[in-house]
Amino acid sequence: MSVLVIIFLTAVIALFTGVFNQGKMARYVGIAGLLLALYVSYLPELQFFSQYRNMFEFGANTALFTKISIVTTLLIFFMGGFAFSNHRSHQSELYALMLFALCGSIVLFGYQNLVTLFLGIEILSIPLYVLAGANKTDLRSNEASLKYFLMGAFATGFLLFGITLIYGTSGTFDLYKVQAYVNKFPGDLMLVLGVILMIAAISFKVALAPFHMWSPDVYQGSPSLITTFMMSVVKISGFYAFFRLMTIAFIGVYDEWFNIIGVFVIITLFLANAMGLAQTNAKRMLAYSSVSHAGYIALIFFGINNLSTYNLAFYLFAYALSTIGVMMTLIWVEKLKRETSFNAFKGLAKKEPLLATVGAISMLSMAGIPLTAGFMAKFALFSQAMNGAAFLVLVAILGSAISIAYYLRLIIAMFFFKESSFKTSEKVTLTYNILAVFVIVAIVALGVFPDLFAMQFASLR
Amino acid sequence: MSYHLLALLLIPLVGSGLLFALKGKSAKHLAFGISLIQMLVTFCILYGFDAKPTVDSVLQHEINYPWSQFLKSSLHFGIDGMSMLLLLLTNVLVPLIIYSSFNETVNYRNSFYALILLMQFGLVGVFTALDGLLFYIFWEVTLIPIWLIAGLWGQENKRFHFTTKFFVYTFVGSLFMLGAFVYIYNYAPSFAVTDMYNSGLNLTQQTIVFWFIFFAFAVKLPVFPFHTWQPDTYTYSPTQGTMLLSGIMLKMAVYGLLRYLLPITPDAIAGISGSIVLMLAIIGVLHGALIALIQNDIKRIFAYSSFSHVGLIVAGIFASALLVMNGKFTIEGGEGALVQAFAHGFNVVGLFYCADILYKRFKTRDIRQMGGLAKVAPKFAVLFLIVVLGSVGLPLTNGFIGEFILIKSIFDFNVLAAIISGVTIILAAAYLFRSYGKTMFTEGDDRILASAKDLSNVEFTVMASIAGIVILFGVFPQPVIELVSSSLKFIYQSMVS
Repeated sequence: MSVLVIIFLTAVIALFTGVFNQGKMARYVGIAGLLLALYVSYLPELQFFSQYRNMFEFGANTALFTKISIVTTLLIFFMGGFAFSNHRSHQSELYALMLFALCGSIVLFGYQNLVTLFLGIEILSIPLYVLAGANKTDLRSNEASLKYFLMGAFATGFLLFGITLIYGTSGTFDLYKVQAYVNKFPGDLMLVLGVILMIAAISFKVALAPFHMWSPDVYQGSPSLITTFMMSVVKISGFYAFFRLMTIAFIGVYDEWFNIIGVFVIITLFLANAMGLAQTNAKRMLAYSSVSHAGYIALIFFGINNLSTYNLAFYLFAYALSTIGVMMTLIWVEKLKRETSFNAFKGLAKKEPLLATVGAISMLSMAGIPLTAGFMAKFALFSQAMNGAAFLVLVAILGSAISIAYYLRLIIAMFFFKESSFKTSEKVTLTYNILAVFVIVAIVALGVFPDLFAMQFASLR
Repeated sequence: MSYHLLALLLIPLVGSGLLFALKGKSAKHLAFGISLIQMLVTFCILYGFDAKPTVDSVLQHEINYPWSQFLKSSLHFGIDGMSMLLLLLTNVLVPLIIYSSFNETVNYRNSFYALILLMQFGLVGVFTALDGLLFYIFWEVTLIPIWLIAGLWGQENKRFHFTTKFFVYTFVGSLFMLGAFVYIYNYAPSFAVTDMYNSGLNLTQQTIVFWFIFFAFAVKLPVFPFHTWQPDTYTYSPTQGTMLLSGIMLKMAVYGLLRYLLPITPDAIAGISGSIVLMLAIIGVLHGALIALIQNDIKRIFAYSSFSHVGLIVAGIFASALLVMNGKFTIEGGEGALVQAFAHGFNVVGLFYCADILYKRFKTRDIRQMGGLAKVAPKFAVLFLIVVLGSVGLPLTNGFIGEFILIKSIFDFNVLAAIISGVTIILAAAYLFRSYGKTMFTEGDDRILASAKDLSNVEFTVMASIAGIVILFGVFPQPVIELVSSSLKFIYQSMVS
């Protein structure tokens, strides 16, 4: 709980530092605040209370997801110095808004009441609507912002419809009371309708097909750093909120909804991967890859066991790391070339071997090549889902098979060209290089010793 | 805990890391030195090796550590006869392959040799892992370096197409194997090989698992009709890449068939699946040989010849497996397969090296434009002939004994199949002697021949060592058979028990 307060205060302070020095201080304030929050999240005695009036609970799982999202945000902040170096002013808002969004994430990790769920989603989304339009002079960024806002507002509407129906039948917003009600009357049609509406709304937030239509445009139009934030932190919070909702409140009507998610998974994996194959722009390709990952992650709803939360956290963290790795590369290229087509990446390995390597390893991790975190995560997910939905695992395997083709295209562009297409003498900054090494080490280390993750983040009983 | 095996795993990995990190001109010497140390360690292990113990009994050079508390998988490595043979093949061939590149000017030489050593690390892992997940991981680890080698140093204008095709094809195959392994994992107590053998799947489940795993191996081997990536990849890869691919990498699949597929899915093999595979393999034998007859690109001829020979290996393995399941216990097919795999490793490396030597002399791979080299390069003519004879399977060369046992085991199962596969020896003689004759004896371009030289020192060393091995194991094949027989007995025994 104190983590939430710290991050909120940091965001407020960061916002006020905008007065000085074009707001560049905000980044350092943000990093300091996040480090403090990360430290505090390891100290259970500083949590003040683990439960707030049946609205919010801060248990072990909440702490686990809080830690991984704080680490992810930290890495994104480290990238920020380079990524936002073109923004002459108003930098402080960007960092402050990201921190506010992170507050929303943490609310989502610990909500215990459907109202808190709604609040969390809104606190997460509203800063993002603004952030998506952060490149004020870029038409695509404006488009992204507006599109995200309009579609997001629709999804929120669905969420509220769903919550209303559930409140109407069960008479409570409390997650555990809903659970008790669902277990008692699983055949309640109105309730099932509410469940379906909520699934639709949250599927929108995590970009699960067929509710993914907004995501390629928004991901491509937003400033790349914000895209990274959306692909990683927002996905982490969206999915854990989804997971909490389905496994705590609605597990009693599992038979009613697992087929729906199964169909979503199939559509997502085929559609997103096929679309990814057709892209010529790396950023848009990564947007589709992000959608396809939502499909893999949704396998978490099959064969649920007591390790599922851990598997989910591991996958999300592995995916967030990979996203950061590949987006690092992309941001650098975008900065130099002002575009992100595959051709823009030609010969990157010649110019910046480290940056090309971090991009390549991240993409191999996304594709699930062994000795990367992504493989271990995918393996855990597949072996869980195999126990109950073997067919979906087959679909996921086919999906991965398709996906490797488009990841390879980018790797080939970076590595297989003798002459570099980069004419500038601009070198990568030191922070950036350190970050690249960190991401490579983290991805490989988690791929070789998956238990490291548990040692760092999870306090499993 | 065996320090020998640990060294075997770590030397190439550390060496590869060193090479990536260091800068300088002596990358090839460093890489060669590292691979020589690796070879010496292998010989040390071989020296004190007792071929009897197998996976179920006490293993030699065992490493077993728990890995993750969330995975029922452990870092379990060990060597039995089968592993030993393939380790020997790997660790003798890699120094040869590295040495063979000494005369060449390679761009980014550090990365090139680092990737070869990384590949060696993966191969050693595959041949020693005694845990399904570990096997899969190493299996994939080999893919990245060879893909980069093929892509970075392959033929310029073709490489984007063929490398992608190669990678996607093999990766899809491997993913299916992963799916099958995960499926077995749900039933078996753990990923340990012996647990996987006793997973207790019924016939339907076994059949699904069989085809999923077989797909991965079939792509790698390759078996008809999954071979379409192979000719392009072999042809356009750099010579060292082709050597690694054909000499060692496809043996991973032979090893995988024996170690995993046969004992895990015996009922499926006894059902219709085994016979289908046998049929596919024999179609491949004939198909490859016939295509090789009409090719003019010398690397392509050797690629199809490799495809054809591998078909015979698979046919032998499955013929014996089917016999065992029908109640007649025999391990001949497996023995033949391993002896032939060992022999084929050296022969095919020799052949592709000859192709490279020819390409350097004639600046073309088209055999119609070559000719008359025997006059100016007698040393080469002799050594090339020995390698060709080994591939054809002439008695007293290493190709003979393997092929003989393989055809005998197929004969025991089905006479017709044996006749068809026997024809390939004739066809092999036809296409190999055709290419040999065209390149060495016919009238050649005098201007090229005038400037063509005989083998350089490096070339001579490599060719002579391969020719020596061809004859050595042709005359004394027995040690190889003795090395593998007890582990094969265990494998085929686990099918019926």
